[in-house]
Amino acid sequence: MKIPLRYNLRSLLVRWPGSLMTAGGIGLTVAIVVTMMALVGGLENTFVDTGHDGQLVVLRQGSINEVNSFINRDLFPAVRFLPGVARDGRGEPLVSGEIVVVINNTRVDGQSSNMIVRGLTETGFVLRPEVRIVAGRKFRPGLREIMASRALAERFRNMALGETIRFARSQWKVVGIFDTGGTAYDSEAWADYTEISQDWDRPVYSSMLLRAESAAAADEIRRRVAADPRINLQALPQREYFAGQTGAAAGGTKALGYFIAVVVGIGACFAAMNMMYGAVMSRAAEIATLRAVGFRRRHVLASFLAESLIVGVAGGVLGCLLALPMHGISSGTANFQTYSEVLFNFRITPGILLRGLAYAAAVGALGGYLPARRAARMKLIDVIRE
Amino acid sequence: MKYMRFLLQNLFRNRRRTILTVLSIAVSVFLIATLRTLLTEMEAPPETPDSGLRLITRHRVSIVNILPVSYRAKIAQVEGVEAVIGSIWYGGVYKDPKNFFMQFAVDTDQFFAVNSDLIIPEEQKQAFLKDRTGAIAGENIARRFGWKVGDRITMEGSLFDFDAELTLRGIYRGGSDVGSILYFHWDYFNEALGNRGFTGTFSVKARSAAELPAIAERIDALFANTSAPTKTETEKAFMLGFISMVGNVRLLIAGIASAVIFTVILVAANTMAMSIRERVREIGILKALGFRRFQILSLLLAESVLLSLSGALLGGFGARVLYSSMNMALVTGGFFPRFDVTPGTLLLCVAIGVGVGILSAGLPAWRAARRPAAAAMRGVV
Repeated sequence: MKIPLRYNLRSLLVRWPGSLMTAGGIGLTVAIVVTMMALVGGLENTFVDTGHDGQLVVLRQGSINEVNSFINRDLFPAVRFLPGVARDGRGEPLVSGEIVVVINNTRVDGQSSNMIVRGLTETGFVLRPEVRIVAGRKFRPGLREIMASRALAERFRNMALGETIRFARSQWKVVGIFDTGGTAYDSEAWADYTEISQDWDRPVYSSMLLRAESAAAADEIRRRVAADPRINLQALPQREYFAGQTGAAAGGTKALGYFIAVVVGIGACFAAMNMMYGAVMSRAAEIATLRAVGFRRRHVLASFLAESLIVGVAGGVLGCLLALPMHGISSGTANFQTYSEVLFNFRITPGILLRGLAYAAAVGALGGYLPARRAARMKLIDVIRE
Repeated sequence: MKYMRFLLQNLFRNRRRTILTVLSIAVSVFLIATLRTLLTEMEAPPETPDSGLRLITRHRVSIVNILPVSYRAKIAQVEGVEAVIGSIWYGGVYKDPKNFFMQFAVDTDQFFAVNSDLIIPEEQKQAFLKDRTGAIAGENIARRFGWKVGDRITMEGSLFDFDAELTLRGIYRGGSDVGSILYFHWDYFNEALGNRGFTGTFSVKARSAAELPAIAERIDALFANTSAPTKTETEKAFMLGFISMVGNVRLLIAGIASAVIFTVILVAANTMAMSIRERVREIGILKALGFRRFQILSLLLAESVLLSLSGALLGGFGARVLYSSMNMALVTGGFFPRFDVTPGTLLLCVAIGVGVGILSAGLPAWRAARRPAAAAMRGVV
């Protein structure tokens, strides 16, 4: 027969200050780990969530992102009239030629950073149905107007609705604020393709975004583009293209996150061990009694391990609660592939909370094992003699 | 000091508990020391006497925009400029995109005049200057990929449409990058791209540090009304510009560090509470012997400070010893060419040790000191 859990719960309650402090320590540890996971998760999610199946990004062969890709304008028709490209209601191919430039701007906190400005046309909006205009309106070609994502408008100076920003050769008036639901496009400002291209003296495209008629057609387009040496281009699935940038923005943070999780975890294990040794030592008489009335060594081991797990999981719940307010906080970091800032939100998902709890349970189990074994190995006779 | 023996005896009464507490604190303080070093290294990148004399001129719009190479001759004539070279980020892929390291195509004629802080054997320097497809690499990347002088290095262009096929002619040490860059000839780069005559930035070596701001202004004034206006700043400011892009690291680290410190306080408080509870009777005896309240309070606090201070010192100095014995440039892929735990960081660790010691034992020690001797000796808890 097992030792009832009620025994452990009551023991913890009797020594509540110690139990609470240990659970609190584990809780803070879990809060740190969950916050780091929310940061990395939010950042990765930004890239993973961007794009639609069946859409392709066309870049110069060898380029790894839009910022360093240059495609001559005369290649545009070659891509436009590829077989398998979807068409809109009027029969026009759904191909959007775009230019992507990086400009230096000052953040609201006074530090300087880089942001992406994308030049596109109406087709670009058609291919990104996730775009919602939350304030103002779209830019009108020919007027040097620009739209900013909501996150960008909040993070950078001169990017709020109605403000004017100076870059390249012109003053650009912010006429609209858009939101793309947390995708990578939420780190950009958009303006008319022709104007950006003129102001930069760059009569080229950085990339083309196209929609294929079907998944099979997309594969066929990819194959055709890759096989044509004259155009020297490559076509990547839009989702894959953005997912591929995750490492350049989140890699360092992720490594730091793992490092922190391991180190604070070790510290928390020592703390849990300390508390459990204290519990075992001060309850020697109880343990002896349990053994005397017939419980086996393994029962004692299981019982103390369970007690440590309870403290760990309680700490885990506390930690998750402490970290929850971090959810939705917006921040930004560098994407070292494009030299620009990527904006993201901390994101706490049920999966992250579960992992936080598992982490807490692991701390409880690792910290509790040695003390529990010690309890199980106590010699009845020694205890009674004391 | 005469109570030292008393303190130590008490601490070693329950050896396991003391060791576990010290280790727990040490691990946490080790983390804090690491995070703070991360911050100090990011905010104060390595400097050499030479890096304090260098300016970087870039396109005003952003670092990604290119500059015409004709600017070089104009900058060279600016009053106070000793030497100037063009430099452009090549961004090639060596075998696998994971093998990231910095590569620049540079003007070689004045390269060693601008970067006189690089340490390289004279014959390797000459061999590099003579070979148009030659390259020199910092010792850290050479070690990372096992390169030896004479090796062929081929990189696939990701930003530019040509693959660089180079021969390693030398390995350098030092510099403000602490040996983590590969340099090759701009002439070769330019020719491979069809002599389009552009570069990325200009590195300018000034005659004296005092003249830096004036020189920067003069350079930017030269190009203010062209289609490619420039922004000139010190090498340090230029580097910090990259760092500030990484985001609000300071806030993140401060948040983590405060949570860790709070955890440490809980751990230490738990230990001290257990330890004091066991000793109620002894404290009563001390009182009966004539010890005053404040004496008992200070004894208990001293014991607690001793405990957490040893943990903090172990963690802080442990970090220093560990990181100085590791090649962090290699571990972090060149992102941190240097990773020194500074005296300031160690001081912070000591402060944490003392602070945690006082805070964690404060309440139980005060209660124990106040308890009347008779009650304590009866063992009323």
